[in-house]
Amino acid sequence: MSNIDWIVLVLTLMGIIAYGLYKSRTAKNLEGYFLSNRSMPWWLVLLSIMGTQASAITFLSAPGQAYTDGMRFVQYYFGLPIAMVIICISFVPLFNKLKVFTAYEFLEQRFDIKTRVFTSSLFLISRGLSTGISIYAPSIILSSLLGWDIFYTNIVMGGLLIIYTVSGGARAVAYTQQLQMVIIFIGMFLAGWLVVHYLPEGVGFADALKVSGASGKLNVITTGFTEKGFDWKDRYNIISGVIGGFFLALSYFGTDQSQVGRYLTAKDNTESKIGLLMNGLVKVPMQFSILLLGALLFTFYQFHSAPVFFNQAVADKAKNTAYADTLGKLENRFMQEQLQQQAYSKTYVIQGNEQFKDSLKLGSGKMAATQKAYKAILKKALPASDTNDTNYIFLRFVIDFLPKGLVGLLIAIIFLAAWGSIAAALNSLASCTMIDFHVRFKGKVYDRDNAEQCATEYRVSKYYTLGWGIFCVITAEFATGMGSLIEVVNILGSLFYGVILGIFLVAFYLKKVQSNAVFVAAILGELIVIAFFLMDKYNIIGLGFLWLNVVGALAVVILAWIAQQLMPSQKALHTI
Amino acid sequence: MQEQKNKIPLFASWKSWYLFVLVVLGLFILFFIWFTNAFS
Repeated sequence: MSNIDWIVLVLTLMGIIAYGLYKSRTAKNLEGYFLSNRSMPWWLVLLSIMGTQASAITFLSAPGQAYTDGMRFVQYYFGLPIAMVIICISFVPLFNKLKVFTAYEFLEQRFDIKTRVFTSSLFLISRGLSTGISIYAPSIILSSLLGWDIFYTNIVMGGLLIIYTVSGGARAVAYTQQLQMVIIFIGMFLAGWLVVHYLPEGVGFADALKVSGASGKLNVITTGFTEKGFDWKDRYNIISGVIGGFFLALSYFGTDQSQVGRYLTAKDNTESKIGLLMNGLVKVPMQFSILLLGALLFTFYQFHSAPVFFNQAVADKAKNTAYADTLGKLENRFMQEQLQQQAYSKTYVIQGNEQFKDSLKLGSGKMAATQKAYKAILKKALPASDTNDTNYIFLRFVIDFLPKGLVGLLIAIIFLAAWGSIAAALNSLASCTMIDFHVRFKGKVYDRDNAEQCATEYRVSKYYTLGWGIFCVITAEFATGMGSLIEVVNILGSLFYGVILGIFLVAFYLKKVQSNAVFVAAILGELIVIAFFLMDKYNIIGLGFLWLNVVGALAVVILAWIAQQLMPSQKALHTI
Repeated sequence: MQEQKNKIPLFASWKSWYLFVLVVLGLFILFFIWFTNAFS
């Protein structure tokens, strides 16, 4: 990076930290620290919800995902708007009416303490681990740019983040997310515009779409059906997207404290609902735009030299092994295929010669095969290295082709996106630990008029935020070699989200089911989800991870209902 | 209740809001189907 890039990067990051600290001045009690005194307007809630969901992983992985697998990943978000509607109908009014701090507090009122603790614990495990991965994602950038060991870059990234989050609280999280999202939108738009601008003379936006479309990258809608029927293992298609995506979004936005904590900061029911519904309106087109950037990037590399493997550091390292010659031969083969592909692309677009459409698809397949062979050799040369370069595709373009200054801004954007989601996650992890465990088991009722108690709780909450920050950095150290990070986070979520959602669905809609029945059902449901996951992993069955959400939620609902029929009725039925 | 209803921006009721969100989703899906067929 040039000096100008470094200046832009450092100034943007320091500016955000300073803004976060400035906005952290809030009431020094639990309501101020975790819920910003329930005072936020809908548009801040919206940006906070979006900033929490859109992590650095979104901006690193999604364009790479479209580059390699096409745009069909957008279908994963089709269930989200439907989930927003259900949450507005069932979840928001109840959470606001009960004035809860965490979603799990409601479960004790509806069921009992063990259900609350079990669900809160599932959240802490899944969110703690996935936040660790969210720290690792931007650390890759530092590692790739500066050649630092990933071990130290995780610490640097997590260290900066902890300082900012501990001091900030929910109010600082929301205000910085607002600024972060504005900068992110501007930066991503500029990057997309430049991708098209850098195409050869006479190749416009529509032509770029034709090339990526001919190579199978604009497969936005896929059905998941093959000659053998529906492919349950297919991860992204319209059916799994609407059904599986709906269950995942319902669980994530309705029961994950990192999101529930965002719309609980709204000043009333209306502001919470409008924020969520607007999220339902903008999320699909936003994700479509990010994926389109990846598809356009694919076209860009049909006219410019693309590396056979986008993680330069790993490729360079492998060239110092006995496999250097083999890798060199594959690079030459890839270069020849690329030259041929460039010729096909130009003929197809500039001369409008339709018969080259099939040649383009064939050429694209050949290049993908060479890349696969290259990765296989890399794995042999460096068994411990990560040979999945999906997360490096967009990054490589930014570093190699964007003008001075903009590289720094784009790198800053990835940091900001990461900080937005990690800050919200740390805040929610600390709020669950504080509210569902510390305050609950200390036996003290929250009293905002008791200054001494408020000061102690406020201080302890900061310690918990710090503790979770350290835990997440340690987790980040173990994240190397997990492949596409966006998928790892989603798979991790799917292992727990379905069961958590099932518990809440029973709470809302099966009024006769009592605590013991739902507790047994939740444990069995989690075991069933893990069993399905393992059976898929070892190829006993074929099931895409999105379906785990459906399996978990339905298992808990059905088992809770059956268990309630078999169990004697508990004496005191909790009512809301 | 009446006060709560008056505060809803843009539409007269929450039901209209919910319908609006779902219709927009449907329109997006229709656009994506056209987009996939047009460029693939």
